[in-house]
Amino acid sequence: MQIHQYDVVIVGAGGAGMRAALESSSRTRTAVISKLYPTRSHTGAAQGGMCAALGNVEDDNPEWHTFDTVKGGDYLVDQDAAEIMAKEAVDAVLDLERMGLPFNRTPEGRIDQRRFGGHTRNHGEAPVRRACYAADRTGHMILQTLYQQCVKQDVQFFNEFYVLDLLMNRDLSGETGDVADGEEVAVAGVVAYELATGEIHVFRAKSVVLATGGAGKIYKTTSNAHTLTGDGMAIAYRRGLPLEDMEFFQFHPTGLAGLGILLSEAARGEGGILRNADGERFMERYAPTIKDLAPRDIVARSMANEVREGRGAGPNKDYVLLDLTHLDPAHIDAKLPDITEFARTYLGIEPYTEPVPVYPTAHYAMGGVPTNVEGEVLRNPRDVVRGLYAAGEVACVSVHGSNRLGTNSLLDINVFGKRAGISAAEYAVRADWVELPDDPESSTVAELEEMRARPKGERVADVRRELQQTMDTNAQVFRTAESLRQALTDIHALQDRYARVSVQDKGKAFNTDLIEALELGFLLDLSEVVVIGALNRRESRGGHFREDYPDRNDAEFMEHTMAYRRPAGAHIDDPVAPAPAGEELPVFPPERPSVLLGTKPVITTVYQPMERKY
Amino acid sequence: MTATLDKPDAQTAPAEIPSFQVTLRIRRYTPETHGEEPYWQDFTVTAHGTDRLLDALHTIKWELDGSVTFRRSCAHGVCGSDAMRINGRNRLACKALLKDLDPSKPITVEPIKGLPVIKDLVVDMEPFFASYREIMPFLITTGHQPSRERLQSPEERARFDDTTKCILCAACTSSCPVFWTDGQYFGPAAIVNAHRFIFDSRDEGGAQRLEILNDKEGVWRCRTTFNCTEACPRGIEVTKAIQEVKRAMITRAF
Amino acid sequence: MTTIPAPNTPVVRPSRRTSRGNWELYGWVFMRASGVVLLVLIFGHLFVNLVAGDGISAIDFGFVAGKWASPFWQIWDLLMLWLAMIHGTNGVRTIINDYAERDGTRFALKLALYTAFTVVVVLGTLVIFTFDPCPANSPASLLPSFCTA
Repeated sequence: MQIHQYDVVIVGAGGAGMRAALESSSRTRTAVISKLYPTRSHTGAAQGGMCAALGNVEDDNPEWHTFDTVKGGDYLVDQDAAEIMAKEAVDAVLDLERMGLPFNRTPEGRIDQRRFGGHTRNHGEAPVRRACYAADRTGHMILQTLYQQCVKQDVQFFNEFYVLDLLMNRDLSGETGDVADGEEVAVAGVVAYELATGEIHVFRAKSVVLATGGAGKIYKTTSNAHTLTGDGMAIAYRRGLPLEDMEFFQFHPTGLAGLGILLSEAARGEGGILRNADGERFMERYAPTIKDLAPRDIVARSMANEVREGRGAGPNKDYVLLDLTHLDPAHIDAKLPDITEFARTYLGIEPYTEPVPVYPTAHYAMGGVPTNVEGEVLRNPRDVVRGLYAAGEVACVSVHGSNRLGTNSLLDINVFGKRAGISAAEYAVRADWVELPDDPESSTVAELEEMRARPKGERVADVRRELQQTMDTNAQVFRTAESLRQALTDIHALQDRYARVSVQDKGKAFNTDLIEALELGFLLDLSEVVVIGALNRRESRGGHFREDYPDRNDAEFMEHTMAYRRPAGAHIDDPVAPAPAGEELPVFPPERPSVLLGTKPVITTVYQPMERKY
Repeated sequence: MTATLDKPDAQTAPAEIPSFQVTLRIRRYTPETHGEEPYWQDFTVTAHGTDRLLDALHTIKWELDGSVTFRRSCAHGVCGSDAMRINGRNRLACKALLKDLDPSKPITVEPIKGLPVIKDLVVDMEPFFASYREIMPFLITTGHQPSRERLQSPEERARFDDTTKCILCAACTSSCPVFWTDGQYFGPAAIVNAHRFIFDSRDEGGAQRLEILNDKEGVWRCRTTFNCTEACPRGIEVTKAIQEVKRAMITRAF
Repeated sequence: MTTIPAPNTPVVRPSRRTSRGNWELYGWVFMRASGVVLLVLIFGHLFVNLVAGDGISAIDFGFVAGKWASPFWQIWDLLMLWLAMIHGTNGVRTIINDYAERDGTRFALKLALYTAFTVVVVLGTLVIFTFDPCPANSPASLLPSFCTA
C-alpha cells in the first residue's frame, strides 16, 4: 500500500473533474484520480451544445435562460442555483473559447448558436438560438480542450486508479453512533485501487472533489458508457451521505432504437421531425407551440405513448422515426456528421433518404450527491461536510430539478466544476489536515480480498442483466406503484444473489472482472434508491411519471427527496410525510440496511410554480 | 399492471433476430497465470445481426472466461478506449460489425502493435500520450485575453476541422510501420494534434510546434504508407494532415 | 507506513528531442529536387548515348573519350554521379533506419553503406577528372579524331 498526500484530490477526470482541476491546480497541490484515461470520459459523448445567452445570433438574456431551466425542471429547481448557472454561462462559454475550443462560427466570426429543446425566447414564446456548439461533437471538443489545458498546466493525473472509499473523520453511516446535526464532519481522503497492479493507494487530502459522473448502467437501454456505474454516488451513499432526487432519471428521446446510442437533440434543433408509423408529426398534439423542441421528458413520454397506443413504426411497432430527409445533405454533413454516421454504422440507415428509428434511452441522473452552489456536499438539509465537494452529474445542486434541459449538463460541469475547484482549493489553503482513520484501507482491502476469494457462485453478468432488465421494465418512462414494487422485490433478490457473485479472474494485474463485480454492487445500491424515491413520490413531475398519479402535486411534493442509508431501526430528521394506507414504503428487515427518505426544501426566488405547457 | 411498453408486441410476434456462430482468436498475454509467453485462444460465441466485435468480446468475458481483458467505455466510437488489431487491421472493437468481418472464418484479435502489452488486449498508453504532450497540444496565444470571444471566420474554422475529430485512440500511431520499429517516432496522432493547432487561426505557437516536429523523429520519418488514414476510426485524413505539416515547414524554411 | 509525497509521479523524461536543427528537412527536399534533376540528367545521357546520331552503334572508346574531353559532359556526368549516389545512399539510409531494429545491425549496415558511397564517389570523380582521351601507343582508329599523336 502507498500513501499519498495532496491538498486537493479530484475524483474523476471528465468535464467537471478537469474543469475543477484547472482551477485547483493553479492554486494548490492537486491530484486527479480517474478510473479511465481522461479523454475516455463520457463528457466526450455529449453532442448538441452548451447553452449561454450570448445573444450572438438573436436577442437573448440570462433571465430567460433561468426561467427555461426552472420551468424545464418542473419547478423542482433551486432557483438561486439556476440563476447563477445561467448568468455564469456566458463566461463559461467564453472561457472555453479562450482555451481554444473550436466552436462553429457565424459569418461574422462569432460563436454560432442553435435551437435546443425547452430553450425559448421571452418565457416560452418561441424556440431561441442559445446553444453554442461544435458540429455534433460539442462534448468531445470540451473534453479535449479541458484535457489540453490540463496538459498545459501540468496537472497531475492518476489514470486508471479506481476510487473505492471515501474517508471522513466521523462515521455517518450510523453503525457506531449518530452524528448530530450541526456537529463538524470533515473529509480526510480517499482509498483507490490501481488497475494496472492491483495495489491499494490511500490519498490523504484536505479537500476531495467528487466528479465521477452518472449511473446510466442501472438501465439496459442507455446512452451511457459501460463505465458509468455511479461510483461516486455510491461510495458517498455507503458512507452515510444522502442522495438527492434520485427518482428523477432523464430518458433521452432519440436513442437509436434497440441500441440506445444517442442521437443529439440538435437533430431536431436543426429541423429534424419526429413521426409515428402513419408519418404524422405527433409532437404537434403534445406540445403545440414548440413541437419537437419540447423538453426531453415530454418528448420521451409522447414517443412512448405513441408506441403504446399502437402507432409505433417497424415490424414490432416499437419505435418512432426521426425524419431528416427534408434537410439538405450538405447541411446535415456540416451540422450533424457524427450522429448520421452512427445511424449508418449501427443500423445501416442512410439518414439523407430514410428516417432513423429512435426510442427513448436512459441518459442522465438529475439527482445525485446534494451540494450547495459552492459545490460543498451536504450531509443533511443544512450541514456541509467540510472539505468535500461534488460537481457534474454525480452532484445535485439542484439546477436540473426533475428534468434537465438539453445542453445544461455541459453548462453544469463548466460552471459548477469551476466553482467546486475554486472552493476546494481555497478551503485547502486555509484548512488544517484531518487525521486519517486508523487502517484507512482495511475495509476496502477486506472487501476486495473477500470478493476475490469467493468460491464459484453467481455470475456478475447475470445479476447485472436482470437488474437492468427489471429497471427498464418497471422504472422507466412510465411507472406505477405496482411496477416499482416489482422492481424493488427484484432488486432485493438480486442484492441477495450479489452476496454470492464470484469472479473468475483472481489476478492482480488489470483485473476488470473484479472491477465489474464492484461496479455491480454500486448499481444495485443506486437502483434501490431510485425505486424507493419513485415509490414515495406519488405525483408526476418532470422525468418521473406515475400513471397512478398523473398530476403534479405541489401541496405534498414540492420538495427534494433525500435518501439516507442507515442501519435498521435508525431514524433521520426531516423524514418524508407518512404515506396513506396501502402506499406505505417498505419496511426493511434488520439484516438489510434501510433506505430512509427525508426532505429538503426547494429554493424558490422569483418564479412561482405554474402549469407546464409548451 | 406494469408500465411496460411491450403491449403492441403481444399482438405482433417480434421479428426473429437472425443469429450466427462466430469464432474469435484472441492473442492473450497473462503472465500471472500462463507465464511470459503470449498465446492464442479461440472462443466461439453466438452473435446477432448488428453485433459489433465488442459485443462478442463481452459475451466471452461475461459468459465464458472472465479473465479476458480489454478496455472499453462508450461502446459507440467516441471515447477511443478499444482500439485493437482485428484481422490484422487496427479498428475500434465497438465500430467493427461482425458481419463485416467475415464471421465464417475465425476473427483474430490482437493488442495494437508497438506499445508494451500489460495484459491480453490492454497496452501501456503512456508512451503514446508522452508524444502527444510533447507537441504542446494546447492553444498558445500572446497579449491580453479579449473580453469577448476571438473572432474566427467559418472558413478559418473549417481549415483545421478534420483534425479536431481525433479521439486519441492510438489506432493510427500503432498501425504505422515506422512506429513499430522505432518507438521514438512521434507518430501520426501527435502530428494530427499538432496540425489541429498549427492551422488554427487563433494560435500563435505554430513555429514552436513546427520546430519540434522538424526533429529527426518528426514528420520526416513519415513514409506515406497511408496505414494511419486507413486505420482512423474517425475518418481523419491523417496522411494528408502530416503532408500539410511538412509543407508548412518547407514554406517556412524557403 | 511511510508517507510518500508524490510517488508514481510520471517520470519527467529528459526530452528525447535533442536533434533540433538537423538536416532532415533539407534531406527531404533534396530527395525530391535531386530526383527531378536526375530524371533530366539520366534521360539526357541515355538519349545522347543511345539514340542521337548513329545511335548505339556509335559507342566506342573514341565516343566516350570525345565526350569527356568536353567540360560540359564532364560536369554532366559528375553531377549525375554525385546526385545519384547521395540520393540512393540517403534512401538506403532511411530504409535501414526503418527496418533495422537493433542498434548493432543499424551501425554495421550504415558503415557498409557509407564505405560503398565513399569508394564509388571518390573513384568516379577521379576517373572523370583524370581521364586521358589520347593514351600513348594506341591505334589511331580507336581514338577520337582530335588526338594527333
